[in-house]
Amino acid sequence: MVRQQVDLGGLVMRNPVTVASGTFGSGREYADFVDVAALGAVTTKGVSLHGWPGNDAPRIAETPSGMLNSIGLQNPGVDHLKHHDLPWLAAQGATVIVNVSGHSTQEYVQVIEALEEAPVGAYEVNISCPNVDAGGMTIGCHPLSVQEVVGACRVATKRPLIVKLTPNVTDITEIARAAEYSGADAISLINTLLGMAVDVKRRRPMLSRVVGGLSGPCVKPVALRMVWECHNAVRIPILGMGGITNGEDAVEFMLCGATAVAVGTANFMNPKATENVIAGIVEYCEEQGVDDVNDLIGALVC
Amino acid sequence: MQLFDERAEVVGNIQLSERIYLMGIYAPQTANSIKPGQFVHITVDNTTGHILRRPFSVMAADPETGIIDILYQVVGSLTEVMTAWEEGHVLSMISPIGRGWRYPAGTEHALLVGGGIGAAPLFMLCKDLVSRGIRTDVVLGAVTADALVCRARYESLASDILRLSYATDDGTLGRAGFCTSLVEDALTAMELSDVSYDYIAVCGPEPLMRSVASMAEAANVFCEASLERRMACGVGACLSCIVETRGGRRRACVDGPVFETKEILW
Repeated sequence: MVRQQVDLGGLVMRNPVTVASGTFGSGREYADFVDVAALGAVTTKGVSLHGWPGNDAPRIAETPSGMLNSIGLQNPGVDHLKHHDLPWLAAQGATVIVNVSGHSTQEYVQVIEALEEAPVGAYEVNISCPNVDAGGMTIGCHPLSVQEVVGACRVATKRPLIVKLTPNVTDITEIARAAEYSGADAISLINTLLGMAVDVKRRRPMLSRVVGGLSGPCVKPVALRMVWECHNAVRIPILGMGGITNGEDAVEFMLCGATAVAVGTANFMNPKATENVIAGIVEYCEEQGVDDVNDLIGALVC
Repeated sequence: MQLFDERAEVVGNIQLSERIYLMGIYAPQTANSIKPGQFVHITVDNTTGHILRRPFSVMAADPETGIIDILYQVVGSLTEVMTAWEEGHVLSMISPIGRGWRYPAGTEHALLVGGGIGAAPLFMLCKDLVSRGIRTDVVLGAVTADALVCRARYESLASDILRLSYATDDGTLGRAGFCTSLVEDALTAMELSDVSYDYIAVCGPEPLMRSVASMAEAANVFCEASLERRMACGVGACLSCIVETRGGRRRACVDGPVFETKEILW
């Protein structure tokens, strides 16, 4: 029997596998395929205070071994999450990470304050979305704005605070350190890589907003490199993600220093991808004679 | 609506015209549950770097044989890959997805308008309407007579209450020109006689659907259209496939693909 429980900065997860925010809705959308309570955690779609309409269509484009998206954090607002989705998740027995979005420091704090009485296991502060004009990645690219937002969120809650980082920076360890310094309990990475695709026949961008975030198996090497760099730069645990489709992918992230992992775009490829990843990690451990998944964290030999 | 991911198997794949193919797929769970206008989301090819599934409407489903028919047009590299699938090819199929056609209770006379490959998702509806004894007029349009690949299927339904008419751009069959002129004629005839449509369903290129929608609105007939959007998850989670409606942004996959045309902001 492989021990699977991990502790992600105070969030106890029954196994190291959650989902990447925005790829799994609130969990309900996948309930026909996956027992959400069997996941390490469900990470909900990014939520803002009063909701956002998101960007115009087309919002996605398939690219080699990946996809671009510019959804733009469309969401119905924190009240909807609180009254509609969180009670359902609680009834299923799911561990929940809420991805928190905002246009300003104040909005991030207000979203957290609105959820303090709700059944939430941890917050993931989204300072890395590439598809919104204010908030998102504009905050996550500069240590000072990271400190401002994370510091304010830290004051607003005692719950585990995970800060989600963008890869679209020169040195991600600088941002990771800023998050740690400001009181983050964990960091998650990577959000999507800023990219583009072009329809040559029409000489137009494939996305209405021209640029979007790249995800899927094609980003995995970049994500692994950044998890490895951050593992060597900070002491807080890492939630690793970027192109994970199976158990071996997840193990790669853990060996590079991730305490837990998130399955994102793979949910679109296979709605049961999360279950496959969990089973694949256990299978790997059994084959390798590993009796606790925690022994994999940072165990890369190099 | 319970969704499932079914292991399905190709039982036939034949070329019907230059770019249109008909695929028979053994998928008994889907064949038993899919409703007219719903669709399936299938894995096409993970080996060439195409990671996303593709949505396909279902033209016919036979619960007894467990076989569904999918009519598809070659438009890109993935549909090109599909043309090579042989009997026995296994695929993964999420279904039954979406809200299909919802003609009003008490509908007595329906008008179905299919442009090109859009004739396919209307066929299950047509079969359903005719089996319920609802008078159904069908207008199908295509570029050429050869491209009117659904014609034989519709004709096989032969019934007193079913009336079929065709238009081809090149005049090789039926009315020459766009099928919208046949729709205009039908709606004009309605005004001049005691015939009255209480439902119009349209599927095809967006300009056609838009045009039929405005004709339906002018004639004050309830009208639905089946929309197509780039799609990732197919289960309502990713918010890729949005449709602008009077009620805000809706998801083509689970809030549609069929929408009341009055709701759509084209």
